[in-house]
Amino acid sequence: MRDDPVVVALVAGARDGSKAAWDELVERYAPLVYSICRRFRLSEADTDDVGQTVWLRLVERLSSLREPAALPGWLATTTRRECLAVVRATRQRELREGPVDSEIGVDAAEIDRALLEDERDAVLRDAFAELSDRCRVLLSYLLEDPPVTYAEIARRLGMPVGGVGPNRDRCLKRLRRCPSLAALIGSAADTVEGGEGHDKSVVER
Amino acid sequence: MTSQWWSDDDRLLSALGSALRAAHAVPDRFVEAGKAAYAWHNIDAELAALTYDSRRESPQDALTRAEPAPLRAMTFAASGLTIELHVSNEALVGQLVPEQPGHVELHQPDGLIRTADADEIGCFAFRPLPAGSFRLRCHTDSGRDVLTGWISL
Repeated sequence: MRDDPVVVALVAGARDGSKAAWDELVERYAPLVYSICRRFRLSEADTDDVGQTVWLRLVERLSSLREPAALPGWLATTTRRECLAVVRATRQRELREGPVDSEIGVDAAEIDRALLEDERDAVLRDAFAELSDRCRVLLSYLLEDPPVTYAEIARRLGMPVGGVGPNRDRCLKRLRRCPSLAALIGSAADTVEGGEGHDKSVVER
Repeated sequence: MTSQWWSDDDRLLSALGSALRAAHAVPDRFVEAGKAAYAWHNIDAELAALTYDSRRESPQDALTRAEPAPLRAMTFAASGLTIELHVSNEALVGQLVPEQPGHVELHQPDGLIRTADADEIGCFAFRPLPAGSFRLRCHTDSGRDVLTGWISL
């Protein structure tokens, strides 16, 4: 995977003592850790425990993290492992307290699929965070629910109505160009297409 | 082939929308706890590595056993100092090896610290068992400062 310079810089900053860099890493990736805990249907208390364990492990790993760009994957794997430990411990406790359903309660294959979505979401948020303010605002308007008309967006941004569409295209093009997203799309396209096909074009612009 | 989330701008925008909505669902306290973990960065103590954990030896047993809580044993090792831990229902009991007196701190992620003295043969105990995860920091009278990894019982 190509290095995302922003993530690499944040990891380096946190390693060198910047609390601000650490805080930004946590803000970026807390949603990833949290959503994985939800996939395992952990209680709020267990979710907090897993979160703490994962961040504490990352603090210790900062100096030895060889590929900072692989951080989302590392966080997902670590969170998944901690969640499984909680699920096992809960199961053990339930067995001690009496007979329970034989189901473990979570479907591993379903969770693995969901984890890929969670990692994808994290990469999309990374790419979004690295856009210009103007692009972030425009895309946020476009994502409002209920939807806002182009005319209203144009009014808010003080641009002609005809400018919204082209700006949207430009911002999404920049989003695709963010290194970690480009790499993710590239590898996903390889998986789908067997390494060739029209989808490749989107990552090479 | 079926259309993918990156195939066109509409799909990409909608994937971005769901990613951003997922981030809004995260409670503030979850994020704040993560930020607080940085307090453990660059702690000036030797790290002791987990060299034995009875639970790791028999994960399958742990999954299916229906008896009361099994005893768990762990060993953490730094150069020249080993920390042996035994867990029962009531207490966390440990010993510094080689046998020596000292002072042991039990740190919890929320910043809470409990302390216990290690006697002349290095034995110490924490009652009741800590809830949640914790780590031990051992100061020996000879001047060693050794920290275990995080432990969840």
